[in-house]
Amino acid sequence: MPAISQVVLPALLVLAAASAQSQSVRPQSIRQGIELFEKGRYTEAEAELEGSSDKRARAFVAMSRAATGRCGQAAGGLRAAFDNFNKKSDPQIRRLAGLALARCRIAEKSFVDALTLLSSLASEFPDDGDVLYETARFHLKAWNGAVERMFDRAPASFRVNQLSAEIFEIRGQFSEAVAEYRRAVEKNPHAINLHYRLGRALLMESHAPEALEAARREFEAEIRLNPSDAVAEYQIARILEVEGEHEAAQERLENAVRLDPDFSEALTALGRALSAQKSWARAVDLLERAAALAPQSESAHYNLMLVYRNAGREAAALEVKKRLDKLQESPDGEFTDFLRRIGELP
Amino acid sequence: MTRLFAALGLAAAAAAQSVNVAADAGLTHIFPNGGDESKTWILETTGSGAAWIDYDNDDDLDAFIVSGEGGGNRLYRNDEGRFADVTAAAGLESEGWGQGVCAGDYDNDGYTDFLVTYWGRNRLYRNLAGERFVDVAASAGLLQDRVRYNTGCAFLDYDNDGDLDLFVANYLKFDFETTPRPGDNPYCYYRSIPTACGPRGLPFDCNLLYRNDGEGRFTDVSNESGIAAPARNYSLGVITGDWNGDGRVDIYVACDRTPSLLYINRGDGKFEDEALFRGAALDADGRALSGMGVAAGDYNGDAAVDIFRTNFSDERATLYRNRGAGDFDEATLSAGIGRNTRYVGWGVGFFDVDNDGWKDLLLVNGHVFPEVAGLAADIRYRQRSILYRNRGGRFEDAGEEAGPGVAEPHAARGLALGDYDNDGQVEALINSQNEPPALIRFDGEPKNSWIALKLEGVQSNRSAIGAHIRVTAGGRSQVDSVRSGGSYLSQSDLRLHFGLGQAKSADVEIRWPSGIRRRLTNLAAGMTHRITEAAP
Repeated sequence: MPAISQVVLPALLVLAAASAQSQSVRPQSIRQGIELFEKGRYTEAEAELEGSSDKRARAFVAMSRAATGRCGQAAGGLRAAFDNFNKKSDPQIRRLAGLALARCRIAEKSFVDALTLLSSLASEFPDDGDVLYETARFHLKAWNGAVERMFDRAPASFRVNQLSAEIFEIRGQFSEAVAEYRRAVEKNPHAINLHYRLGRALLMESHAPEALEAARREFEAEIRLNPSDAVAEYQIARILEVEGEHEAAQERLENAVRLDPDFSEALTALGRALSAQKSWARAVDLLERAAALAPQSESAHYNLMLVYRNAGREAAALEVKKRLDKLQESPDGEFTDFLRRIGELP
Repeated sequence: MTRLFAALGLAAAAAAQSVNVAADAGLTHIFPNGGDESKTWILETTGSGAAWIDYDNDDDLDAFIVSGEGGGNRLYRNDEGRFADVTAAAGLESEGWGQGVCAGDYDNDGYTDFLVTYWGRNRLYRNLAGERFVDVAASAGLLQDRVRYNTGCAFLDYDNDGDLDLFVANYLKFDFETTPRPGDNPYCYYRSIPTACGPRGLPFDCNLLYRNDGEGRFTDVSNESGIAAPARNYSLGVITGDWNGDGRVDIYVACDRTPSLLYINRGDGKFEDEALFRGAALDADGRALSGMGVAAGDYNGDAAVDIFRTNFSDERATLYRNRGAGDFDEATLSAGIGRNTRYVGWGVGFFDVDNDGWKDLLLVNGHVFPEVAGLAADIRYRQRSILYRNRGGRFEDAGEEAGPGVAEPHAARGLALGDYDNDGQVEALINSQNEPPALIRFDGEPKNSWIALKLEGVQSNRSAIGAHIRVTAGGRSQVDSVRSGGSYLSQSDLRLHFGLGQAKSADVEIRWPSGIRRRLTNLAAGMTHRITEAAP
């Protein structure tokens, strides 16, 4: 179990002292027990606190047991601490007990219980690093378990290859991803979305112009299986644009927005193509729609600004520019601290 | 007023087979620039530029190469096509992290001076009668109050007072003490490999404008001019031009990982960045790319000067078509430049490789991180150049047909273009990291004719920087301007070169920075014409 943060500990000690005074138990022992717990000396903490009727002491006894791998002995105390401590008055004990119990449930593979606990903690402590970490760990465990079962029970399924390919993609190993997608396609050439994923991996694997044609063939195959796939139409359009086949690209974009009228990226690309032909009215219409559908899209707003400008509607263009300026402001990132340290930020 | 000083006949290339003749020409020194197998700091990745400068006024181009730490810049005098190292004799010995170079006769004495930018103290080299140089940065008022990461630069006469002012781009704030090391944070990785950090995550700096006060001194007017106002850009390559046609010079800055800048000259000593609204800051998808180098030229023959910017791998180089009044549309895909995305582009220039009257494009490339050698990807550290042949306003990658000079892989940065042997065929001088320079000739069967113009200002600045030229021959017109800086931290020939196709003569119209206009008719092809501005 991770040690309690230095910020949390003094508050817990104050709580311990107040509680001990009101119940006439040994305040010094409870304080020492919590201090020992904080230092990671769980066995000694448990010995110091065991036998106390103080509910905080009992909570730390349970947490000490959980920290030393005795979830079976700890579970009752952890559940009691999590249920009994008020999230307003004793949020830290509730948080620590909840995290310890969730870890025990994950270890026991009681994933439903663990998920329930972590969901409660996430709603009460949405920015807490420990809660976010345990949640991520939970999903990782659940993912690993599911993958293990899949490889164990359905090793010949094309889904095994598909999943392997997706994992390679995440790792940036695109050649391996392409190979696995090809195996998956070979096993099940009619599976929806496989050709699309293969086409995308081909584009990521290689910068060679020939990759464009190979990817396009896969997107076309996807559309033959699923004629309603607007995203595949869009991908083909973007490839055709690179190849200089602008009329054909525009046709595919028209297909994409017909299939999915709320497809912001396709609306933007089609609006841009129409703008190049000075078809201002329809271009404006499409780009306004794209910007409305995707209010955070710099691409939609940028192209809307330009089509207004090119159409002679300068005031409207300047209005959109204001929105674009806001969208382009960098959010506070992980380097805020670094920049403050070297005096670049107040 | 027009004087012929070279008559070398018709020469050009049909097939334009490129070949690197640097070693034969005497350009054999290696110019260090950080690590060759790995780099710890971003400072190791950005250097350095190259320049063609006729410093001794003998009508042929001399070569200047900027060096990173561990070496020194070198000046090579052109002795009939062979280059002699005259660095020491010219008083140009140096050390430090040299970055960029730009040229101009800032004191109007008839000899071309130049600035070398540094991470650290910039050097302004005043040319003493073509014999040697002296660094006058201190007496000229160009010392800076702290260590700055100066990159691209350009001399320009922004107030049209007849002397050259100076723009200096600044990349970011860097020092060895506070900058994180490879792997220290998420911006210190490339494709999961720990690499030099930045530019993202490192503090921005602002660009600088120095006004020439006419007595050999400059005043920093960065704040009052508005040049320092944009403060969220990582500035690298610089080019100047009058994009909106109002007779005042504007400034374009290629910016890395941030929107590029287009400073529009208001005419009252103030500039305003209008790149976003004018459509020259982002790509067509509204993304800020990793701008490195920049070139200006009229690629489609509509008499409006367009902008071309090199970017990072996984991005396309960006061609911005000037709609005629300084508003731009991205024309990368419609012009046929969308297929190359594996290269990190740096130096770039428009030039007419086959003298057919359509400006072609040369891009030199090289990855930022030597560590990409360890990647299982089709990206290499040393990369080939790209020659885009202009086929009437649409480009084609010449690929292997461009010959071995273009195909050679380099960790290239600076590129300067100029006809160093005055044969009517422009050559490329390339500065690559930790390599000798490359000198690329484009040889082929003579076919098309050409004309070159060397302008000399009288009322305008002596280098005629900012002069706008229209050349008409064989029923076609071409436009260009005399520019300082450009490409990637480099200086190309201040003379202007035009391919004329089959035409035997050309008409030339000049709009000098002073506002004076001049028209010359029936200038003979196949030679360089020296044209002096009419006295006031």
